[in-house]
Amino acid sequence: MTRLFLHRVERRLRGDNMLVGCADIDELQKHAGTIPRFASEPIVFEDTTCFQLGVELDNSAREALLPSGLHPTIPASMVVQVFNVRQSIWGAFLLAVTRVSCRSGVRARGFTLGAKVTTAGARKGLESTLGLSAGLADIELQETYAQTRVGVALSGIQILEVQALDPEPLSTSDLQFTGTLNLANTPKGLRLVQVETVPQLSRVERLQSSFSAFHGESWGSPLLQPRQVIASTISRGDFLMPPIRFVCKPDELAFTGTESVT
Amino acid sequence: MKFGIFFELSTPRPFSREVEWQVYHNALEQCRLADELGFDHVWAVEHHFLEEYSHSSAPEVFLAAVAAQTQRIRIGHGAVVCVPEMNHPVRVAERAAALDIISNGRLEVGTARSSTWTELGGFGVNPDDTKKTWDEFVRVLPKMWTQEEFSWHGKGFSMPSRNVLPKPYQDPHPPLWVTVTTPGTELDAADRGLGCLGVSSAGYEEQERRTREYHRRVQVCEPAGGFINDQVHTMNFLYCHEDYRKARRVGLPMVNSFNIANTHLYWTREAYPTRAYQTLGNAGAHMKPKKPAVDDPSVVKGLPEGVGIGDPEHLIQTIKKWESIGVTGINFLLNAMEMIPQQQVKDSMKLFAREVMPKFHRPAQIDEAVFTPSGTAAAGR
Repeated sequence: MTRLFLHRVERRLRGDNMLVGCADIDELQKHAGTIPRFASEPIVFEDTTCFQLGVELDNSAREALLPSGLHPTIPASMVVQVFNVRQSIWGAFLLAVTRVSCRSGVRARGFTLGAKVTTAGARKGLESTLGLSAGLADIELQETYAQTRVGVALSGIQILEVQALDPEPLSTSDLQFTGTLNLANTPKGLRLVQVETVPQLSRVERLQSSFSAFHGESWGSPLLQPRQVIASTISRGDFLMPPIRFVCKPDELAFTGTESVT
Repeated sequence: MKFGIFFELSTPRPFSREVEWQVYHNALEQCRLADELGFDHVWAVEHHFLEEYSHSSAPEVFLAAVAAQTQRIRIGHGAVVCVPEMNHPVRVAERAAALDIISNGRLEVGTARSSTWTELGGFGVNPDDTKKTWDEFVRVLPKMWTQEEFSWHGKGFSMPSRNVLPKPYQDPHPPLWVTVTTPGTELDAADRGLGCLGVSSAGYEEQERRTREYHRRVQVCEPAGGFINDQVHTMNFLYCHEDYRKARRVGLPMVNSFNIANTHLYWTREAYPTRAYQTLGNAGAHMKPKKPAVDDPSVVKGLPEGVGIGDPEHLIQTIKKWESIGVTGINFLLNAMEMIPQQQVKDSMKLFAREVMPKFHRPAQIDEAVFTPSGTAAAGR
């Protein structure tokens, strides 16, 4: 909180009116993944179920969770994504990600703060291709016609648990997936890696969700404190992530800090 | 072609009581000047919780002050958010009627449904319902303004028979408009005989398509109110200077600053999956720049196509282009986040009024009739 206060005072003194992040990039780098070289092939999560939940965060986290190259949204918010991937080049696995909603330049993005995955192979592959640094954990995504339950446990302790009820069918075009930014050590240096998601969905339902457990520190920051759930969905289909095309400097706004990887 | 000024009352950080006071009072001074210079409209939006982007949460109060400080310019309540959690329709009808009386029949009423989760979430509004409640509002407001006994049993609200008072000064009621950001809303406006109030800076091609569709559909509409308001206005920015390089240097940062503040908002489309919101509000238009032809005068001068930033000659050419595609009015944002000093804003308005405005229209006179609807009277009234 002291850091946030000093950041606001400094900006006020500078007369700077743009809302940007103030997270300590050195601290964020400790958890960053590594991409030894940029892949030229897309990644596909086939026959996949994705649970996605948007939730408002305590507003004290608004600037504190993002590096200075990104703008927060008003209000501060987070998206939790849990994928049950039944087929991929790394086999079947489950993946859970927490992303802080943000803007890179004028583009809507999600900055990854924490990720957990169920297999070592997927863990290695996600890091080397997408720059996603994920820890191993037990992940559940259980569906019935009436409800969905999502759980993530670390060493037997539940760090995420959500109950979702009353599925309501939507059109597949009603659901939007914004791009993801993963902080990673890349051949160009420490960068925000822009990962686009192109879903080919066969089914989307909106659900009424509530948290029964969430441990912010296990997902990257104790400031991650869910407040009001906005909406949640469950979708099924294939999720294609094209090869990385752009990266951004984490401490520079995207208008000048964006680089092509080719 | 009509010219208006358009206020979001955007406010720079760091926020303070003094800064907000200055934003409001600078805007009021601009309204008084616009009234003297012959601008036709002043519009003020309704937004809530939109830090920096818009601190205009009580436009009816701001516009009451405008009405009291001006003689001629029409007062645009643009737009009232038509969801009951934010505004009960009776209160909308009452406030608008009172404003119409105070302004001697100079009121225009814009209607909207809000496109951000920042606002809808703040009031606990279900985004699935806003289009339905907006539709209900635009149908009941004219009835409240014209019927001595009004009752309603609907989806968004219900009420027993009452006489909603006061009645507006204009007969039968002030012109109604719809703010248009999402493609397709222009057809909702046309079907109901409502004016099309553009609030996003669509390019020529997109605006031409929207305008053509609107004019085609409004011919066969069933008006929701007592008459058809078939005007199509767009939103634009204004910074006019004799030297286009100076105009570019001062005006473009204002445009960019406004657009960036706009993108910080949390759009409903992004936050809440629903059939009712298929685009990112007015951010969508900003994020799709169209490449103009290389011989376009905008390109030669390094100015964005279609934007009211430049020297008088450039603005005349730009506005002629808008006029040629069927736009009947342009509402200008004069400043954003107070980036342009107030004196420069006023100088820009004066130059525009002196060099550009006379090429397009004669300013309305103070003794003109307060209301002359351009459309036809609705059948059965």
